[in-house]
Amino acid sequence: MTLPANQPPPPGVLLRLTDVGKTYHMGEVDVQVLREVTLNIYDHQVLAILGPSGSGKSTLLNIIGGLDSSSHGSVWYRDREMTRFSPRELTVYRREVVGFVFQFYNLVPNLTARENVMVSTEISRNPLDVDEALDLVGLKERADHFPSQMSGGEQQRVAIARALAKNPELLLCDEPTGALDYATGKRVLRLLVDACRKLGKTVVIITHNAAIAQVADHVIRLRSGEIVEVHDNPEPAPPEEITW
Amino acid sequence: MKVLDRKLVRELRSSSFLLLAVGSIMAIGVSAYAALGSAYRNLMTAQRLYYADCRMADFTVDLKKAPLADVTAVGALPGVVEIRPRIQFLATVDLENVLEPINGIVISMPNERRTVINDVVLRQGGYFTDRRDNEVILNDAFARANKVYPGMWIHLLLNNRRQELFVVGTAISSEFTYLVGPGSMVPDAKRLGVFYIKQTFAEEVFDMQGACNQVVGRLAPQVRERPDDVLRRAERLLDSYGVLNTVPLRDQPSNRFLSNEIMGLRAFGIINPAIFLAVAALVLNVLMSRLAEQQRVVVGTFKALGYSNAAIFWHFLKFGLAVGAMSGLGGCLLGYWLAGGMTAMYDTFFEFPSLENRFYADITTQALCIGLACGMLGSYHGARQVLKLEPAVAMRPKPPAVGGAIWLERIPSLWNRLTFPARMALRNVLRSRLRTAAGIFAAAMGATLSVDALLLAFETNYMVDFQFELIQRSDIDLTFKDEQGRDAWDEAARLPCVDRAEPLFDVSCTFSNGSHTRKGAITGVLPDAKLMIPRDTEARPLRIPESGLLLTKKMAQILHVEAGDVVEIRPTKGLRETHRVRVAEIADSFLGIGVYADIHFLSRLMNEEFAVTGVQLQVRPGDEQRHALYREIKQLPAVQGVSARADIVRNVKETLVKNQHVFIGLLVMFAGVIFFGSVLNSSLVSLQERQREVATLRVLGYGPWQIGNLFLRESVLVNGVGTLLGLPLGYLLNYGIVVAYDTEMFRIPLINPTQVWLIVIVLGTLFGCAAHLVVQRSIHKMDWLDALKTRE
Repeated sequence: MTLPANQPPPPGVLLRLTDVGKTYHMGEVDVQVLREVTLNIYDHQVLAILGPSGSGKSTLLNIIGGLDSSSHGSVWYRDREMTRFSPRELTVYRREVVGFVFQFYNLVPNLTARENVMVSTEISRNPLDVDEALDLVGLKERADHFPSQMSGGEQQRVAIARALAKNPELLLCDEPTGALDYATGKRVLRLLVDACRKLGKTVVIITHNAAIAQVADHVIRLRSGEIVEVHDNPEPAPPEEITW
Repeated sequence: MKVLDRKLVRELRSSSFLLLAVGSIMAIGVSAYAALGSAYRNLMTAQRLYYADCRMADFTVDLKKAPLADVTAVGALPGVVEIRPRIQFLATVDLENVLEPINGIVISMPNERRTVINDVVLRQGGYFTDRRDNEVILNDAFARANKVYPGMWIHLLLNNRRQELFVVGTAISSEFTYLVGPGSMVPDAKRLGVFYIKQTFAEEVFDMQGACNQVVGRLAPQVRERPDDVLRRAERLLDSYGVLNTVPLRDQPSNRFLSNEIMGLRAFGIINPAIFLAVAALVLNVLMSRLAEQQRVVVGTFKALGYSNAAIFWHFLKFGLAVGAMSGLGGCLLGYWLAGGMTAMYDTFFEFPSLENRFYADITTQALCIGLACGMLGSYHGARQVLKLEPAVAMRPKPPAVGGAIWLERIPSLWNRLTFPARMALRNVLRSRLRTAAGIFAAAMGATLSVDALLLAFETNYMVDFQFELIQRSDIDLTFKDEQGRDAWDEAARLPCVDRAEPLFDVSCTFSNGSHTRKGAITGVLPDAKLMIPRDTEARPLRIPESGLLLTKKMAQILHVEAGDVVEIRPTKGLRETHRVRVAEIADSFLGIGVYADIHFLSRLMNEEFAVTGVQLQVRPGDEQRHALYREIKQLPAVQGVSARADIVRNVKETLVKNQHVFIGLLVMFAGVIFFGSVLNSSLVSLQERQREVATLRVLGYGPWQIGNLFLRESVLVNGVGTLLGLPLGYLLNYGIVVAYDTEMFRIPLINPTQVWLIVIVLGTLFGCAAHLVVQRSIHKMDWLDALKTRE
């Protein structure tokens, strides 16, 4: 069902993108990294955005996360049109709605695990308890360690705790397992899936790893800035069962 | 504490070396502001209170002798509030156990204690009593220096008679806050004293019954700033009594010296802190820009997490504010301590009832605010950079730095001759424009300060040597009370152990050329004098013309005359007839408004066969001989003043030069902090930025010393260019100071000693190398394997 772009999406749809495009001006050359992406992101589902390097998936994630603006098209968050948000409204959107998980964790090096989570809770209106968030990712015991004293997997779990601690509706994960080994990667995936299934978050994972898409309810495939495939996964696989 | 503040505290802690580098420069700027400001205020307050306490005179008129009844008319002049006629004479003092003759200024005071103009503040003992006529109150510094206490008897040669005086007390007075004797530059409490005697006693011993020879007075506030009109009228009124000199407060020697010092403090209180704070802000800027760059991913993450721009900007600004606050606090403490040192130094020059180093809340607050503002200014640029970062861009690794050719590469003939490390250093230096500019500016300012300080030191020494080695070559100078004939010269020549005696004839007079008038004196010297050789600025002896006058350039400018012109002179003593005299020659000299003439010519001009007012002596060396000479001099009734060149030079060097060395030492140390701090900051920032490059070089087989060498080349280049630029800048600053201090009395010689340039270049290099040692240590300690993994 296609709704007009100037109408808010129906209930159950967290975000709706209509004909979203993004062009970067590099000197005299215009580089179009996204073309007419139309997409609904539903509540409480895991969405995987698949694509090779340079397919525009990070740009798409940045637009969804309010980090970047689209060159054309419209983005609606529930009944509000994000494309019309002021920088201040975008900041509030990122603060209240979105939790980010980055490929390289992006922890503040001179803050402990607990303090890194507090970076989130201090600005949220309805945060989880910091220790509870760390407990969710199984790192309660390592709360006072600095990032340099933790493995990559542990750092990524702190990053997930940081994202969850804000109690956001939407968890945006950019290659969350990209820098991790196989076993650790699966453990992190489990946490993300649980965030959706148990905590009711909407989780968007962007990855170039097709195997990871098996855990998602909904998968879109990007190539050269265009959606080339969309499919639903009625029975997502548990992270423990997938291999890559 | 908020988690962002914890991050801030840890960042501050982990960049301790860098902060020390920036913070110390900033702290010195703040301390200079606080110290100079406080010292200024200390002196100002002390001066104001002291002048009010003593009812400091706004003018002084020196007369030959005037009846008291006629002098009162001056008090009735419009603008004059009050006058006090008094008796003042110079005298020699004979203290037991002191061989050298001592000079004294004798001043009359009311027999009974009452408040008068140019009053005294008693320090020990009390005021005059009814018990004796011959009581005396001494100035406190003289009493302390010569260990004379109330209850003791001293002997003064007053009006050719040896008088015994009973010391009743010691006192100080604002008119002698800075007491220097004739021919000297610094106070010498041991050899010059002020002696206050009873009015009636003074009248009796100086034959001044019902008369006075000096009038001091106070003016109404509205004419105080422009006293010249009133003084001219007073002069006309008293003309028939022989006005020797009229001195407004601004020209009163003690006040002029003190006020000059206060003004100087105010000027330096602005220039010096400004230099340091500008350097500090720039250096901090470099550090903050690097910090912002280094934290771009963190900033991006914060933005992604929903932190507002304002919150992140404020977080980064707080870094600068923290540096500013710490430096401000440290600077205030250091400033208070420095102000204490300066005030203590002033206390040795100036005699105040109390000169204390006070704590000024407003100056401290201002200094703190300046520290904060400097910190904020220094971090503003970096924090702004953070704001400009788009979160999505910030999250991506920074694209590699633009690695294009630098402009020097377009000159292949030059570029190809350079070694590979030199090319690397040049490329790095020319690509990091802000950092290079900051480094050059800092080094230039460091060099400017050092050059200026050292030049002043060399100039002071030069001036002392010029005056006491080249011009004045006598060992002892005698000044007579009145004009004497050739006999006095002959008598002086016959004194024991005198090898050579030369006469001097000083004539105080008013010079005029049309409407251009100036009071001054003509010094008559022997044309072939060996003990007093007036010189020009090139140190060449001035040729004393057989007839006519030799004017110093400054005097010629004041009178608007050139060689060959005629000036009118009217002596202030004697018959006071006006003479028209030809200006024979004009010469440039460091010493103010001197006028010279052949002593024979001058004597004839004054209708004398041969007149002398002083004799200069060259004495055989040896203590015993000198003691015999002193004993004889003390018996000469005509002698009013005695000065020994060796004593003056020793005293000048001991006080002026010693204090100046402390001042210069401090300035050079401060300049060193600039050199050290800026090189350290710039190299450490560069090292952080190029960790991967360093790690790669290590992988390629470079050792830590070789890598250090690359950084050293860059520092030497930047520091060297800055230092070289600072040399002319320092010279210019010094030139400015020389011009500012170019008064009628004297001017500072502008010299150009090669040593100064060399010393400053060595200083810059040494401090720069010292900073590099810290950098080298960081290179040795660097975990380069870890740096290889750094994701940038």
